[in-house]
Amino acid sequence: MKKLSLLTCIGLITLWSCDSGSQIDEQAFLDSLQTAENNAPVISDEVLESILQQIPSPLEIAVLLKESGTNYDISLLNGTSQISSYNSNFKKALNLGVYGTDLGYTNIYEQNQDAFEYLTAIRDLAEGLSIGQFFDFGVIRRLATNSRNLDSLLLITTKNFNNINSSLQEQQRANLSVLLLTGGWLEALHIICQVTEKNMDNDELKERIGEQKIILENIMLLLSFYSESNLNIKELADRMAELQAQFDSIDITQTYAESTLEEVNGIVTISNNSTTTINITDDNVREISRITSSIRDYIID
Amino acid sequence: MKAIVVVLSIAFSILLSVEEVKAQCDPSVYTEACIPQLAEGFNFVKSYEINGEGGAKDKIEYSYVFAKGTQYFLNICAEGDQTDGIVVSLYDSNRKKVGTSYANGNFNRGIIYPCNATGIYYITFTFEGSQSHCGGAVLGFKR
Repeated sequence: MKKLSLLTCIGLITLWSCDSGSQIDEQAFLDSLQTAENNAPVISDEVLESILQQIPSPLEIAVLLKESGTNYDISLLNGTSQISSYNSNFKKALNLGVYGTDLGYTNIYEQNQDAFEYLTAIRDLAEGLSIGQFFDFGVIRRLATNSRNLDSLLLITTKNFNNINSSLQEQQRANLSVLLLTGGWLEALHIICQVTEKNMDNDELKERIGEQKIILENIMLLLSFYSESNLNIKELADRMAELQAQFDSIDITQTYAESTLEEVNGIVTISNNSTTTINITDDNVREISRITSSIRDYIID
Repeated sequence: MKAIVVVLSIAFSILLSVEEVKAQCDPSVYTEACIPQLAEGFNFVKSYEINGEGGAKDKIEYSYVFAKGTQYFLNICAEGDQTDGIVVSLYDSNRKKVGTSYANGNFNRGIIYPCNATGIYYITFTFEGSQSHCGGAVLGFKR
């Protein structure tokens, strides 16, 4: 009977350890325990995850810029030489997001040499956060050296970032996921603001800036979950509050219309005349651009 | 001692059955298979796991901010060529239905939504006579 009890216990312990999820090194595990303890939000994982996954990909803005005829401009991006100054997990996570957006921008413009520089920086930051296992650098290097492979490179890097976010949430390190998404979003906003300030007659770009009001509301909500218990996140949230105040003056109105559906070869195409109208002035754009640059300087310096 | 053995055995059985349910559905297989099926010109952005846990869940919901002037493509993958009764429906921020892949009695494999109204959209997966209650989906966009 004692043997049976012992076997059952061993079985239970084995099962428990098998279910422990992704492997992280000891130091990262200790860090995550400390971080989780300091930053445990008062909301459920499900709610947190549902808000996180709403944040759109920064790639959408890069595609918009390219298709609106804007030229590639590397001076808009954060240089990779800065990386050695990102020592804390707070800075690493934010700048991993920043570099993720910069990588997407270089990918969309098919600048594979620059893309490779950003991939190297991203790998280093990801390893610093013990999430480097998602990057198969041999494959990425091969894809990045041939411009015909840029679609595959884009796909792999998008998947890697999705996996990083999922892994951080599974490891109870969702605070880092929030920072990664915030950094990525802010960098995309910075890029589109810089381009739009030189093209104030482009209403589509201005509207896209105005639409960021919806995403910023979600980001502020995410930051609020951690700002009570984390001074760095509180400072970031305070700075972002100034940006939100500027976005508050932008009106977004929606009109609803019924949809019609058309089936072709197993795909339904939805025709829908619901619209949104975004009222944003040139002054709004300039002020949003100024505040965004200021927050970005705080993140990247 | 008997009581301890009984309690541990019950716990052991529960853990085993939970592991068994998890093992029955691996949505990542379907999400991987789904990415190459995105229509021409669409950029992959997200994958969605659809695990109805053998019928225990009747709805799985995700959300995403869609932007005006962008086309979105949601593609479902399940066992075999068909969608195994999995239906994707799209709702706007006011929870008004925008469209669904189930139309005219057909289980279509995806929906394309040319968006004219920026906002949060709810992407809902439901099961209509599904056998496995298991699948995956991907979201792509293009301008």
